[in-house]
Amino acid sequence: MIRSKQIKNPQLVLVVDDQEINRDVLGMILEDYYDIVYAENGKEALEKINEYREKLSVILLDLMMPVMDGFTVLEKVKNDEQLNHIPVIVLTAEKSAELRALQMGAADFITKPFDMHEVILARVSRIIELSEGRKLISAAEHDHLTMLYNKNFFFEYANRIHNYHPEWHMDAVVINIDQFHTINALNGFEFGDNVLRILGNEIRSFLAETEGIASRFEADRFDIYCIQQPDYQVVLDRFQNKLNELSETANIRLRMGVKPWNEDVEPVVLFDCARTACNKVRGDNMTHLMIYDEDMRMREMLGQRLMNDLHQAVDEHQFTVYYQPKYNIQVDPPRLTSAEALIRWKHPELGMISPADFIPLFEGNGQIRIVDNFVWAEAAHQIAEWKEKYDITIPVSVNLSRVDVFDPSLEDRLRHLIVDNSLDFKDMKLEVTESAYTENGEQLISLISHLREIGFEIEMDDFGSGYSSLNMLSSMPIDILKMDMKFIRNIEHSETDFRLVKLVLDIARYLDVPVIAEGVENENQLKMLKDAGCDIVQGFYFSRPVPPDIFEKYIVQELELRKLGERQ
Amino acid sequence: MTLEELYANMGGNYEHAKQIMKMDKLIDKYVRKLKNSDIRTRLASAFETMDPAQLFESAHAMKGVCGNLGLDDLAALADEITEEFRPGNNRKMSDEEAKAKVQNALDMLQKTLDCIEAYEQSAA
Repeated sequence: MIRSKQIKNPQLVLVVDDQEINRDVLGMILEDYYDIVYAENGKEALEKINEYREKLSVILLDLMMPVMDGFTVLEKVKNDEQLNHIPVIVLTAEKSAELRALQMGAADFITKPFDMHEVILARVSRIIELSEGRKLISAAEHDHLTMLYNKNFFFEYANRIHNYHPEWHMDAVVINIDQFHTINALNGFEFGDNVLRILGNEIRSFLAETEGIASRFEADRFDIYCIQQPDYQVVLDRFQNKLNELSETANIRLRMGVKPWNEDVEPVVLFDCARTACNKVRGDNMTHLMIYDEDMRMREMLGQRLMNDLHQAVDEHQFTVYYQPKYNIQVDPPRLTSAEALIRWKHPELGMISPADFIPLFEGNGQIRIVDNFVWAEAAHQIAEWKEKYDITIPVSVNLSRVDVFDPSLEDRLRHLIVDNSLDFKDMKLEVTESAYTENGEQLISLISHLREIGFEIEMDDFGSGYSSLNMLSSMPIDILKMDMKFIRNIEHSETDFRLVKLVLDIARYLDVPVIAEGVENENQLKMLKDAGCDIVQGFYFSRPVPPDIFEKYIVQELELRKLGERQ
Repeated sequence: MTLEELYANMGGNYEHAKQIMKMDKLIDKYVRKLKNSDIRTRLASAFETMDPAQLFESAHAMKGVCGNLGLDDLAALADEITEEFRPGNNRKMSDEEAKAKVQNALDMLQKTLDCIEAYEQSAA
């Protein structure tokens, strides 16, 4: 038992009784352990309760009093959200009053006369402990920012609902805020917190109208477990509109994933699916609401299978590396300058699997390192083999993934490949996506600067898909810009797209680096790019990615051109 | 006059008072306060009208205070009146019996207050 006068700030007890003698006797019993305030009727008690509501640990309340009786006080306290956390012990001598008071929310009772001091002290102390314990639980149970449940408690309660009310059709809803870290970065954490708070409030008022519970699962992810709604677009719009009121300029976009109720499916599984649906909203989707469906389930199953099969695929040489040539188009005829190494997976049962299907998957769980390692080793070996066979160096570029950037052994791994294959550092170029630059900022820039000092050349991949400012660009260590494929696709039909391409070329000139255009499919596109001053082109117009033996015919062509050049 | 003697004169339970208040100093303080409290006046004014609600409230107050002072007989008498007039309870006494009961309580209370007066005089 904590005897509170021994601590610096003793707990505060309010004693309410109309009779001075009763107040004093009780005060005498408690005064060695608690700070005490007194009130002599219900009205005065309410004034004191409001005045000390943050500090009061317990109220000892007489029931029969003039002006306002104890029952009225009890009722007012228990119906007031600001006050109902304060436990009330009633002072009474009658059994019937005890029962009525307990039914009204009293925590306990103390009988008159006050002749059992130890019993009184023990009851007061126990009720305070219980109430403080409950506050601790409540603090742990709720996220302090939004007052929604924390995820552990949320799932505990969701499971109870699922088990006790299997007849309720409860859906899982996951909500995320697009680019929340950017919102924080641009507007400050206080603004970001406010966004979370407002969304939390709106979710709570939504839940006040329907059955359900909600949690701020982590950072900007909210989970709602609610009775099936007729139209989730309405729900999403409601939340979105609330955030739109906050700021016209901040452009806060929500995305929502829903997994509808399914008999016997546990909440944790439902929410996994809802999260998958929510993540599908990422990207260019016009709609910000996704309902989990069979197609998503199939893709998830495929993803799971591919992740399981990865190690076996490496062991059984199911992966091969294809090469796509890059041509310098500012000379006539265009000349082979280099190649990009691209992974291919020939699955024994599923056939050829598109990199678009497995690369994002492995990027997500970090296993992309295994794939990268394989591609780098193959590419390094291939460069060396061609060097040996044709006495010509075709530099090959390989991709660096985000996880590689954080791998402390990256430099050693790359260095070994170069040294073991007797290559120059500039023979193997490293491609890093623009978004990796903008997301990882300083750490990436310092790593890349270091790799360049060693001698590697760096190509910025997918340029134009990220959000680099000109200012950032000028400080980024890069040797080549690779323009995002999207720009090229429509240059023949869209004046705007072609202007964008010319803009990228201008930027590259400003940075004094060459530009590679990807995805070039026909002669017309090639001519437009050439006229606009683009240096290097990669795409189906010249060649698809091909196995090494087929690629060799481009090497042979190049060698012939060189011989021709020497003769002239 | 000692406190024990006072309690003997009042017909109170000194041991019980001691159990509640622990120290003679406090018993002394609170019996004196009883003399200045409105307990008897309230019961007396209820007696004038014999209004059940007033009787209940004043007897209830008397019961609590007397109980805490170890005036067990007075507390028991107050309890009888409280229950007789508690809202919702069935009356057990006739009006005359009840009136006699309250009169009795007032007399006993007066006697107690007189004893306290004498106690104060002896101490002064």
